[in-house]
Amino acid sequence: MNKEDENIEKGFVSIFLTSFTTIFIAELGDKTQLATLMLSAESGKPMIVFLGSSFALLCSSIAGVLIGKWISTKISKDKFSLFTGILMTLVSVWIGYTIFNINY
Amino acid sequence: MIINLLISSFITIFIAELGDKTQLATLTLSGTSKKPLAVFLGSAAALILASLVGVLAGGSISNFIPEIYLKLIASLTFLIIGSRLIFDSLNK
Repeated sequence: MNKEDENIEKGFVSIFLTSFTTIFIAELGDKTQLATLMLSAESGKPMIVFLGSSFALLCSSIAGVLIGKWISTKISKDKFSLFTGILMTLVSVWIGYTIFNINY
Repeated sequence: MIINLLISSFITIFIAELGDKTQLATLTLSGTSKKPLAVFLGSAAALILASLVGVLAGGSISNFIPEIYLKLIASLTFLIIGSRLIFDSLNK
């Protein structure tokens, strides 16, 4: 119970930094999006492309946050953790699998 | 012309990002913490910084760091967070 309380009390800055680091790392490994960005940047107006894609990324994070919040009200925290934990592990295995495809 | 480019960048990136692993991570962070605003601000800052680096450098970060390392880091991060979540949920 104490552990649970600590998790809830975790500060704003700490959650901000955790989210920032996780998403930044996830995004670094994600070449597709940046490649798409570059293709459109070849149009010669990178700032416009940057504005458009930033806005799109904001919208997709809002959607992610809201969906996560919504699901967490529907099912118990443990089930949510188990489900997303399994999904993340599968994603990890998938990324690992694509690494082998780069080599061979 | 500018508005066309703006809209096409928006749509391309928005669709590319839907259901992506980044969104899965945001969803997980939001569902497991009590401060959705902090999660939103943190992930928004990371995403904007990542695309800013892309635009300014005129290429993706994978031009500087070999793709295999980027993927390895991403894979390990997801493995650590994923197994921690599974461990936490079973260890109650």
